[in-house]
Amino acid sequence: MRKFTALGLLVGMLSIPALAQNKIEFKEFTLDNGLHVILHKDNTTPIVVTSVLYHVGSKNENPERTGFAHFFEHLMFEGSENIERGQYMNIIQARGGTLNAYTSNDITYYYELLPSNELELALYMESERMLHSKVDQIGVDTQREVVKEERRQRYENQPYGTILPETLKRAYVAHPYQWAPIGSMDHLNAATIDEFQQFYKDFYVPNNATLSIAGDLDYDQTEKWVRSYFSEIPKGQKEVYRPNIIEPKKTAETRDIIYDNIQIPAVIQAYNLPKRNHPDSYALSMLSTYLTGGNSSLMTKELVDKQQKALVVAAIPLELEDGGVFIMYGITNMGVEAKDLETEIDKLIKQVQDTGISDEDFAKLQNIMENNIVSGNSTVAGIAENLAEAHVVYGNTNYINQVMDSYSKVTKADIQRVAKEYLDLTGRVVLYYLPKSAQPTE
Amino acid sequence: MKKISISFILSLLLFTVGFAQVDRSQFPKSGPAPEIKIGEAETFTLENGLKVFVVKNTKLPRVSFTLVLERDPILEGEKAGMTGFVGEMMTAGTTNRTKDQLDEEIDFIGASLSASATSMYASSLKKHQEKVLELMADVLYNPVFPQGELDKLKKQSLTGLAQSKDNPDAISGRLTSALVYGKNHPYGEVATEATINNVTVEDVKSYYQTYFKPNIAYLAIVGDMDKAEAEVVVKKYFASWKSGKVPTFTYPVPQRQAKNTVALVDRSSSVQTVIDIAQPLEMKIGDADYISSRVLNQILGGGSSSRLFMNLREDKGYTYGAYSSIGADKLIAQFSANASVRTEVTDSAVYEFMNEIVTLVDKGVTEEELVKAKSNLAGSFGRSLESPATIANFALNTVRYNLPKDYYATYLQKMNALTVADINATAKRLIDPTKMYVTVVGNGAEIKEKMAQFGEVVEYDNMGFPAKEIEMADASITADKVIENYISAIGGSEKASAIKAAKVTMSANVMGTALGLSFVYDDANMRFSQKTSIAGNVMQSSVLKDGKGTVSAQGQTIEMTADQIEAGRLSSFFLPELYFGSMSYTLALDGIKDVEGTQAYKVIITSPSGASTINYYAVESGLKIKNENAQAGDTFYSDYQERNGVLIPMAYTIKSPMIPVPLEAKVESLELNPTLTDADFN
Repeated sequence: MRKFTALGLLVGMLSIPALAQNKIEFKEFTLDNGLHVILHKDNTTPIVVTSVLYHVGSKNENPERTGFAHFFEHLMFEGSENIERGQYMNIIQARGGTLNAYTSNDITYYYELLPSNELELALYMESERMLHSKVDQIGVDTQREVVKEERRQRYENQPYGTILPETLKRAYVAHPYQWAPIGSMDHLNAATIDEFQQFYKDFYVPNNATLSIAGDLDYDQTEKWVRSYFSEIPKGQKEVYRPNIIEPKKTAETRDIIYDNIQIPAVIQAYNLPKRNHPDSYALSMLSTYLTGGNSSLMTKELVDKQQKALVVAAIPLELEDGGVFIMYGITNMGVEAKDLETEIDKLIKQVQDTGISDEDFAKLQNIMENNIVSGNSTVAGIAENLAEAHVVYGNTNYINQVMDSYSKVTKADIQRVAKEYLDLTGRVVLYYLPKSAQPTE
Repeated sequence: MKKISISFILSLLLFTVGFAQVDRSQFPKSGPAPEIKIGEAETFTLENGLKVFVVKNTKLPRVSFTLVLERDPILEGEKAGMTGFVGEMMTAGTTNRTKDQLDEEIDFIGASLSASATSMYASSLKKHQEKVLELMADVLYNPVFPQGELDKLKKQSLTGLAQSKDNPDAISGRLTSALVYGKNHPYGEVATEATINNVTVEDVKSYYQTYFKPNIAYLAIVGDMDKAEAEVVVKKYFASWKSGKVPTFTYPVPQRQAKNTVALVDRSSSVQTVIDIAQPLEMKIGDADYISSRVLNQILGGGSSSRLFMNLREDKGYTYGAYSSIGADKLIAQFSANASVRTEVTDSAVYEFMNEIVTLVDKGVTEEELVKAKSNLAGSFGRSLESPATIANFALNTVRYNLPKDYYATYLQKMNALTVADINATAKRLIDPTKMYVTVVGNGAEIKEKMAQFGEVVEYDNMGFPAKEIEMADASITADKVIENYISAIGGSEKASAIKAAKVTMSANVMGTALGLSFVYDDANMRFSQKTSIAGNVMQSSVLKDGKGTVSAQGQTIEMTADQIEAGRLSSFFLPELYFGSMSYTLALDGIKDVEGTQAYKVIITSPSGASTINYYAVESGLKIKNENAQAGDTFYSDYQERNGVLIPMAYTIKSPMIPVPLEAKVESLELNPTLTDADFN
């Protein structure tokens, strides 16, 4: 008991956090064609990352043509007028680099990490992709097969692999977030080559892209190269389509059972979140860490270690531009019913809503968030990505230097408040994943 | 006219813009190779001998402390495996903090702290540096080495050892080290159950007291800290560390053998052979050949565009991947070329390996390969530098290997200056294709003879010791005789034949999970079913009946192919020996083998279509003690008890690549000649 008090005092002394974030310097400009360019110079290591964020994700898709944005992520490695099919990766690797890309509901992101003397090559490659990528039948046919395999491997063949699509389908009734980036194979099969080419013209335009370059670079030389490779790319001819759909607030719980190729039941809960740039996002992110971040977190300690009702529990805020979902999932321990685990999860949510969190836990959370934010900027690849997102999502590149401030504004009371406000049982989605063998025969 | 002139001017303008455009028909050329600007390490030495270097990097408000002990490698002998426990024992609690308290305090500041027998590492945000140093110093000065923690670690280690005995990669690694360095060398000695059990808390404590001395230690500080501050904190936490005399050791340099030899570990259940072609190599960081040896290896087998990969995988399809490595070590290093290949192509694969190695040494590399390898290596070198750990490592190496101060700063330039002639000379100096150990771990019966073309074949056991060749005392013994002896040992043909069906249930425990196994045998009607369940839920089942077979798992049911049915049939009898004749199986006796200390006849049983399984019958008792099966793994039988006048094993130990630890299964119930219904085979 005495020890507890001593710790309490110690925490009190730490309560004005000395923020550890170092300022990230950058330079930015916009070309006449609308391409926004962000440069961050860091000569510590002779490497440079070149990335392009296209502000197009699955939410920009035609509801009859879902999966297009992700499909383009594949198609865009097929080559260009000057880069032969299959050569995109080879040339990057032969010059000592690596590359990759990903697609979310909001964005598509490409990057190359190369020795710094290959920056011009990276700019050339990305400008080729933006200027005249190869969007032809051969590429479409090839990548359609690859995407089918990806779909099998990551969703259909993966136990619990369909959690995201199944959750999104129910969490949104109006907004295009209701389909996952992988989309529909039928839609991809039905699409014509003209439709693919149109999608390229609509979204892969400089006025919908952010070029973010970080690492061992010279500001002047880099700007010169950027201008010479990207200026000639024509601006998109029409306004970029962005859905303006407000998801109505749900007034009743949605509850369903999914029978999957699994052995052990799982409980999934999803709560709709505010827009990604809403101030409450920070408290919600801390709340998820409090609930399931690390071995000493509330739910892990209580449900996995003590009660042993769950093998694993996780709370993940899927933050999206127009408002994402707070997904919580628990996989039951041997012999535990899904219902039983859900009851315990709900009890703990209610506990946070009713009594909030302790001073010690709040201090620990602040330390963990601080560590995470600092570590998020430990590589030039991470910095380039964070800079691009700051510009596109928050409309302010310097947001990268303000993340910590936003977190430090969160109070202990905020965490209790957002738990009450957003983890609202009446509008949530609850899914049970049960083994197919448990499916009643009809 | 006016109109025209405007468009003319416009077109002129366009033309000019066109001129300013870049040439897109060519890939831009690489710029000059960049010089690496690694922060200059500043050094100072405490009175107790602790050498400190500070690599200041204020990019992030973090700081890391890496403590390295530079001692000679130790031959642990009877206590082999002891040093593996030191690090975790040190972080298992101090005189000031229990393990739980230590963990909690580390987590609270988001820091990390770890130790090994020759190092300690701590890192945190800058503002928590005092706290993390306090914890690091507590672990360094005041570890309590709890007995309970050692017991736990030894248990884990023994479990790991048991697993490794059936893991072909582990067997291969142990064998290759034992051969290349010798078993009486620190790098070649082997930890066994006996040596692990020999380790005591006193050993760990005494190691700690002997070797954790500042006079053999380097402390690398990387991050947000300059030399002046480092001097203050190092003095505060490490000045009171007492120096002491640390023993030194020398070892004879492992020599290459006179000619190529083949070392084989027979693992009958293998469907793949693990090949490792190796020899000792004197090479350390900073040697004249060091950088060129990196390039050489990149060309031979460093990656997915190297010669070995292109030949053995892309061209021949023998393997998922074939690679080589050229080590670097103060004491002694090793050259190695390795792959896991299908059993049938083992000899072809070794042939290709040897061919590639000989060709590399004799004919050298091409200019094109050199250019590609250089840029590939330069790229990964550059990327690795982003991690502070790499920078700390360079600073340490520079002192440990007495390298020029700019060794790493000019690494890429030195590499780029290498010519084809340099690489070829290095290949000739380092690699001798006529003095290799060719080690193979696989199905001996299939590969042994074919390996003779590469050198004398010597057999080893799964711990890397020479296999005991056991002379057959009774030269007249045959496979049929072994089976006859077995049947009479269990109670005789008459009593055994009276058992026509059986129901067996068994229980086992896999890492805390209770597993139920049930088998129904209807030998007379050639029906068989088997179920595996967890907590009463059936996880997997298989059924053989009416000439068909099905396997069900995870809600899916798959029909077996004809080959799978044949293979499954081999282990679908309760007393299979009674049916070898009627099934037209052929039997072959493959000598006497050592099965966990018991001498046993090895009998290979092959079905008419070529499916096979291997049984071992104890020479002395005549009883079956082991079965090897490519699908199910190895099963050991023990605790024979009499039922209906027939001896039946009541305990099974199952080792399979599918399960992480050997499965100890006990018979819970056994019904002989029960009444069977169709429901038993659904």
